[in-house]
Amino acid sequence: MPLRILLVLVPLLLACDGGLAPPPLVEPGIGGTVTFAQNTWPPRDSLVNLWIVASQVYPLDSAKVFAGIIANPPTIYIYPALDRSLPLYVDSLQYTFPLPPATYRYIAVLQRHRDELSIRSLRVVGLYTAGGNSSQPNVVTVRPFEFVGSINIHVDFHNPPPQPF
Amino acid sequence: MRSIFHSALFALLLCSTAFGQRVSGSLAGSVTDAATGAPLLGVNVVLRGTIIGAATNAEGKFHIPRVPPGSYTLLASMVGYEQAVVEDVVIRADEATEVSIQLKQSVIQIDPVVVTASRREQSFREVPVSISTVSAQSLLERNIVSLDDALRYVPGVNLLQDQVNIRGSSGYSRGVGSRVLILLDGLPYLTGDTGEIDWETIPVHQVEKIEVVKGAGSALYGSSALGGVINVITRGIGSEPVMRFRLFSGMYDDPRYAKWRWSDRPRWNSGAMLDYAAANGPLRYLVSASHTLDEGYRQNDLQRRWSLYSKAIYELSPYQSMTVVGNLLLRRRGNFIWWESLHAATRPDRSQLNNNVTSRRGNISASYKEFVDNSFFYTVKGMYFGNFWNADSAGSVYTESASDLLSIDAQGTYEAGRGNVWTFGTVANYDRVRSTIFGHHPGMGGALYAQNERSLTPTLRLTAGARYDIQKVSRLAAEGAVSPKLGVTYQASDKTTLRASYGSGFRYPSIGELFTTLSGGVGSVVVIPSEHLKAEKSWTMEFGVAQTIGDRVFLDAAIFHNEFRDLIEAGIRIKRVKLSPSDTAEMDRAVIQFDNITRARIQGGELGIKVDWIKNMLNSEVGYTYTWPIDLSSRSVLRFRPRHIFYTSTSLMLGNLKLSSDFRFISRIEKIDDNLVRLVPIIHGDQRVPVKVTDVRVLYELPRLGFPLRVGLNVNNLFNYHYVELIGNLAPLRTFVLSIEGAL
Repeated sequence: MPLRILLVLVPLLLACDGGLAPPPLVEPGIGGTVTFAQNTWPPRDSLVNLWIVASQVYPLDSAKVFAGIIANPPTIYIYPALDRSLPLYVDSLQYTFPLPPATYRYIAVLQRHRDELSIRSLRVVGLYTAGGNSSQPNVVTVRPFEFVGSINIHVDFHNPPPQPF
Repeated sequence: MRSIFHSALFALLLCSTAFGQRVSGSLAGSVTDAATGAPLLGVNVVLRGTIIGAATNAEGKFHIPRVPPGSYTLLASMVGYEQAVVEDVVIRADEATEVSIQLKQSVIQIDPVVVTASRREQSFREVPVSISTVSAQSLLERNIVSLDDALRYVPGVNLLQDQVNIRGSSGYSRGVGSRVLILLDGLPYLTGDTGEIDWETIPVHQVEKIEVVKGAGSALYGSSALGGVINVITRGIGSEPVMRFRLFSGMYDDPRYAKWRWSDRPRWNSGAMLDYAAANGPLRYLVSASHTLDEGYRQNDLQRRWSLYSKAIYELSPYQSMTVVGNLLLRRRGNFIWWESLHAATRPDRSQLNNNVTSRRGNISASYKEFVDNSFFYTVKGMYFGNFWNADSAGSVYTESASDLLSIDAQGTYEAGRGNVWTFGTVANYDRVRSTIFGHHPGMGGALYAQNERSLTPTLRLTAGARYDIQKVSRLAAEGAVSPKLGVTYQASDKTTLRASYGSGFRYPSIGELFTTLSGGVGSVVVIPSEHLKAEKSWTMEFGVAQTIGDRVFLDAAIFHNEFRDLIEAGIRIKRVKLSPSDTAEMDRAVIQFDNITRARIQGGELGIKVDWIKNMLNSEVGYTYTWPIDLSSRSVLRFRPRHIFYTSTSLMLGNLKLSSDFRFISRIEKIDDNLVRLVPIIHGDQRVPVKVTDVRVLYELPRLGFPLRVGLNVNNLFNYHYVELIGNLAPLRTFVLSIEGAL
């Protein structure tokens, strides 16, 4: 008799969880820490904006930069926004950058040092790099419902990486 | 090929005249139900250790002419009854011996007659390999529409959606190539282009039983019997006219999560089958038609099927018969390949949303069987199996494929002396594929096989055999393979049989694996040809015991060791390729290519128990299989194989009412193809859980109508458990099905 009861109960007990369920909704994007080299911050009048940019296109040129930003959908994304800036004069900052699922071939910190919005007023001051090569951009793939962390970037205003445009 | 066939036939006919002249007697008798005294139709009556036998007619009578004089043990068996054993049946020259047999009802069939292990009828206890059977009754009771669903309750078998896996032999190849050979009435039934099993063309309503032989079986059946053989045996036709019908209608329940609901109305699954069988003198015939409409529990998963089946048996004489079968299936279905994500598990990836597959598949077969005398008979079978399918997106066809497969099998079975049986034969096949993704390719092959079974003592039986196959596909070099087998059974007592076997297997790569070229299909996947592939090989060793405890418990246990070499796996990788002639340069793409990359070892054990708790009232079956599947190339767990498979089934009969439940547990697949998930990509494709599914059903036979009529209610996946068998494919939700079947 105990075996009969077991035969009935085992299926009931094993099946009482529901199996697969929708996972928690995760907004896709990237995040990490931006660190700044000590005593390298430029004067305030040359810091109009400081952004993180993520570009699906690489290599870049001046035409591709603005085309990528205004394309629909864009191929270049700016964080926090075109009219806003990352905090200035800090040692480091944490960021969470929502992005649509795609492969991003160039992720960098971009300084706008003049009021005019042209390619001449922009310069890359930090780059998310591949391994030990500080000049080679690293590729990041963001999949749907996936957030990619540890995208850390070091900024040294005195030693910027190679400019892509 | 024609000359080989003629030579074989000539050799067989030569044998037939050589063995034709012998002194003999005859055996006749009747078989009745022990409880009711009613005559039993279709009881198999055989003389143990011989090929001599017959089946009872509607009056329960049988007649076996031309039996060599001697003393025999007579076995009578039928599904639902205990096997009867009549010792010391004496046959004298020119005399007619009569016997009367009574069969006792039994839900547990301890000693069934099987045909697949040795290409001839023999008692389960004479078979040196593990074999499981699925009866027509269980197909009806479980409301099986597609035959793969029936195999989900066979110990040691699991399915990755429709891809069958016996004791871990198969992984996942998205329907291209099967490591389990399927036979339809003994002839290979894999599609000519992809070498896959198309379950739905198999006429479920016409199946008498399914036999599943576990372990490598190429020594008798050739290519693809790497991990096992599944033989689907269609039923015979009685001498009385009968019309059978079956209607069913069911509904999928909602998923547990509101965000998975994609339809604002219930989704239905319904079907109807009608067949008529009759006899006219020596001719017996059957025609059958069926239609099913499955709206699907997932978006773009609707499926319509129409099928026609006919069979005619012509008895040329008491010793010669000819059978002709025709079968046609038309189907159109949505092409749900993987989900959008686990957030929308019932919706396909958007690239598949308007994709459909239309197919026309059919076969015509003919077989001729002649008992030359009671020590020799031969069978010549031929089958044409045609397949055509196309895939369209919103009506625009983007892929199509047609294949023709012709196979011929001539087999002789000769009893050289008591307990000494030879089985030998020759096989030829011709294959032709015309496809937008596989190209245009012919293929052909042939084989010779022989097997000897010999009783060394009354309790010890040895089986040895081998087969040589040669196959040539298109412009590729011909490839041959030799497959030996060896087996022994030892009947330690009336209740205990020990067995041991060695078998070998191989599988030629399918045309699909060799030549698939696909770019710009579903997802971002590109498939490139793999003409370098060679045949996969395997060997199996097994030790087993079959034990009856009292008259209510039957136990079968086995341990097995399988080795695989050159397993073909579809690998996804980044490769620099030129996609089309118009491309100016090669570019890096994620491509799928098949390679012989894996050496594998699968060891394990299997236990099956059948218990009749209360005689003919309450019974249970339990099956457990443990496998340890190791990829020897990478020293890690083999992909897409579960480690534990557990089934249990219980039935309670209360008069005309039968209540049954099934439960199956399959442990979580430990390793999948991460690259496939990542590079396709299949969002949340790595999400998987153990399979824990419970089905219940109620059947009620309506009495006093003057004809058999049965009503059934099935609730499949009772607890609405959500799981995947195949990555990115949510398995069926809770389903309610009402069915009615009868015969007039």
